[in-house]
Amino acid sequence: MTCSAVDARQLARARRQVFLALFVAVAVSMHALETLLPTPVPWLRLGLANIMTLAALYLYDGRAAWTVSLARVGMGSLLLGRLFSPGFWLALSGTIVATSAMIVLYRLAARRLSPVGISAVGAAGHALGQVLAARLLVIQHPAIWKIFPLFLSFTVFAGILTGWLACGLLEQLRQHPAFQSPANADRCGEQ
Amino acid sequence: MKAPWHYMTVGDWLVILPLICAALAGVAWVAAAPGGTRVVVTSGGETCFSAPLDQPRSFDIEGPLGPTHLVIDEQGVRITGSPCPRKICLSMGPARHSGDLLACVPNRILVRIDSPGGKEAPYDLLSR
Repeated sequence: MTCSAVDARQLARARRQVFLALFVAVAVSMHALETLLPTPVPWLRLGLANIMTLAALYLYDGRAAWTVSLARVGMGSLLLGRLFSPGFWLALSGTIVATSAMIVLYRLAARRLSPVGISAVGAAGHALGQVLAARLLVIQHPAIWKIFPLFLSFTVFAGILTGWLACGLLEQLRQHPAFQSPANADRCGEQ
Repeated sequence: MKAPWHYMTVGDWLVILPLICAALAGVAWVAAAPGGTRVVVTSGGETCFSAPLDQPRSFDIEGPLGPTHLVIDEQGVRITGSPCPRKICLSMGPARHSGDLLACVPNRILVRIDSPGGKEAPYDLLSR
């Protein structure tokens, strides 16, 4: 490659754009694949696409995490024909609460928490956002909160699983030359 | 890739354990709720049907997509037929505890179990 002639900042920006585009593409595919898989209860899904949001958060910053999560919801819903359906608003609300919770926690305690802890809180936020949207938009009755504990217990375990997978992915990605700059070196989730 | 606990820190456990405890406490609290006495069905936000839970019955509720079929028996109330595309409501099983919900989002039908707190409902059966 003839990288040496290019401005370092410009190169970093181009790399960021390329990697975030890849992350969004992988997240949308995982979202679609997961929706097509049969599950015992149709609205329970693992949220594997969150791995890519966590990767963007750890390798870049909060803005990158927003890009990946919002693009994933928009494009995933468009691909599955659910854009602006009630399910889309639930997913959007869940994603907004989850991404905010993960970014706030990352800023507060990135050194004390691994992606597993951040992901578990993100998953709980996702459940909260979804039930909140369902309460306001779909089922306008407080009894909807009765399903929240069951939902929360499932989703925390799903969050731990996706956080663990994100740790594995981050381990691999950090060996790539693009992520070996000193700016990223101290941002490891590992101790 | 190593085992999950290899990556996890003390902070992770401090975050995860309270979440799991809260979730399990919530599940226990919901499971301990007393049985309800009345089935209330709302369609598009308006109450359109109400009946006691202890009398077996089978009925249809009209939604925007067509009729949703419900059955009340000794297990509680459940949805047995629906015109919605994904049939999520059919897989929700029976509801019998106070506050339990069955919902068919596409057909805008919500089934709720109420217990009017000792006070008798002012009517036996309501159907609109």
